[in-house]
Amino acid sequence: MEKLVLRIHRYDGVNKWLQEYQIPYKKNKTVLWVLTKIKEEIDPSLNFTSACRHAICGSCAVRVNGTAYLGCKTAIDEIIETFDTNVLTFEPLKNFEVVRDLVIEWKPKVKKMKLVKPWLIPTKAGSIEKGFQQSEQEFSKIASPTDCILCGVCTSECEQLSVNDGVFLDPFILSKAYRFAVDSRDGSPEEHIQPVVENELWKCIHCMQCVTNCPKGIPLTDQIAYLRKVSMKMGAKGNQGARHAYAFYGDVKKYGRLNETMLPLKTDGIMSTISKRIPLAARMVYKGKINPLHFPKKVKGIEGIRKIYKYAQELSK
Amino acid sequence: MRYGFFPGCTLESAAEELMISTKKVANALGIELIELEGWTCCGASHIQDVDGFLATSVNARNLALAEKLGAPLLTVCNTCTLMLRTTKKELDEDKELRDKVNIGLRKSGLEYKGTSEVTHLLWALIKDYGLENLKKLVKRPLTGLKVANFYGCHIVRPPDIMGFENHKNPRSMEIIAEALGAECVDFDQRLACCGFHAVFPAEKEVMKLTAINCISPKLAGADCIVTPCPLCQMQLDMYQPDAQKGYSEDIEMPILHLPQLIGLALGFSPKELAINRHIVSAVPFLKESLGV
Ligand code: SF4
Ligand code: SF4
Ligand code: FES
Repeated sequence: MEKLVLRIHRYDGVNKWLQEYQIPYKKNKTVLWVLTKIKEEIDPSLNFTSACRHAICGSCAVRVNGTAYLGCKTAIDEIIETFDTNVLTFEPLKNFEVVRDLVIEWKPKVKKMKLVKPWLIPTKAGSIEKGFQQSEQEFSKIASPTDCILCGVCTSECEQLSVNDGVFLDPFILSKAYRFAVDSRDGSPEEHIQPVVENELWKCIHCMQCVTNCPKGIPLTDQIAYLRKVSMKMGAKGNQGARHAYAFYGDVKKYGRLNETMLPLKTDGIMSTISKRIPLAARMVYKGKINPLHFPKKVKGIEGIRKIYKYAQELSK
Repeated sequence: MRYGFFPGCTLESAAEELMISTKKVANALGIELIELEGWTCCGASHIQDVDGFLATSVNARNLALAEKLGAPLLTVCNTCTLMLRTTKKELDEDKELRDKVNIGLRKSGLEYKGTSEVTHLLWALIKDYGLENLKKLVKRPLTGLKVANFYGCHIVRPPDIMGFENHKNPRSMEIIAEALGAECVDFDQRLACCGFHAVFPAEKEVMKLTAINCISPKLAGADCIVTPCPLCQMQLDMYQPDAQKGYSEDIEMPILHLPQLIGLALGFSPKELAINRHIVSAVPFLKESLGV
């Protein structure tokens, strides 16, 4: 390969256009190298952000050929190999406002992040004099979420955010809530979790984009599951998401299998199901897709499954 | 080839046509699918929200059943595959967790040892069965049929658990469709999420996604979407009339299960593959393109 063809989505605050550049290909170079090369040698008007070049500041994230990457950490060879092309198309991160070219606006996200109180609410156990000591095991709980560099990659690829009107909290905000809720030095986890529940926690669609693309390997979807679990322990069980999860939990205990006919009733309640889901149910019955009289039989070995449930319940105590 | 078959709950109810077509196709290809006796729901990515350890234990039990059979475990559902593979990875990498889970399993006479792999029919066809062998059995090449391959999230993401191919540009669906003689169209939403897992709490947003997921292949000129996941199929097919309500343009797009596409190329009729059970009818365009 001799050259790289770079197609960059440009924006000057009013107009949008696609601009093409060509530079010679070099082995072992990064996405950020490409952008810097263009800015320094071809077009100084190109705007993008970067600072540390060491995957620490989080400012160089950008979309290339349809997904977000941390520019300074990603080799262009990886992208060339993935898409089998020398044409790289650059866009700003999705689900952010765009300021200029590849530069995005963080202010609205920071404002939203404040909802979950991303700071320590100290326990009474510590003090300025004694400090706030933490065991290694306690620290290990926050080791991963504190790796977040606020690069915005998770937000860019989040498929719920792409269709949401902006209430759903970005994955890194959910992670931030988790990070303080599990910190042994924090005395009020509910204050971080309650706003998460109030802001569409259950709308995460399990697309796995956040956890897949996070350059720091933060287990975001596990953290979301944790937030949900604790929110239910805090008493927030009356919403559709929690009822849906409990329907699965209950059916497996009872039969070993899911009772799909009853699922809408358990999730939405009788009145809502009747008013909302009759046309759906009718077309499914008509096509033979569901049989309203079909109830799952208990699977072979159901007693063993119930023993597993009992054992898990004992452990969680 | 012999697998412990894990159908998953939907194949017993709303996606029974996938059970029918999977069995037909497996039989025609000479793949032996032995349904695991006493398998349970994989939790469909919901049980862990209530109790993560329980979700792991329930799937450890499913894996132990396959181990007892002495065969790899095969599913035709993306989410079942992800749940089972997640459990396997957790147990194989964490002895302490495995020991703890096995205390529970022993109470039901089972033990997780880690001897069975977990695969999806899509992967098994490529890796175990072989494309050349599949091609030899094609009786009715799908020439002229333009398919949009909709992967669904859980067959590619997260890659450290799924890992069959590059998650940013997978090719397995295209490879199979092309082996059957179909033409694959490229479309924006090829790797998108169908939204199924949040259709209750996020109905408005998921309907929007459904519409976008249908419009994108339509604009790319596809005759139909084909997917390896019954949940994607259900979301895009069953809810399409609801998603249509928010859009003035026509979003109509038939959605086929992967085994149905394969079955058509093997010479089965749409009825034999239960294609007539879909909400958005695929039969007219199949008549037009393939004369069936
Ligand atoms: S899994 Fe949930 S939070 Fe993560 S990207 Fe998808 S919708 Fe967003
Ligand atoms: S969670 Fe990961 S992807 Fe998201 S902002 Fe933090 S480091 Fe970036
Ligand atoms: S420049 Fe700082 S993370 Fe890339």
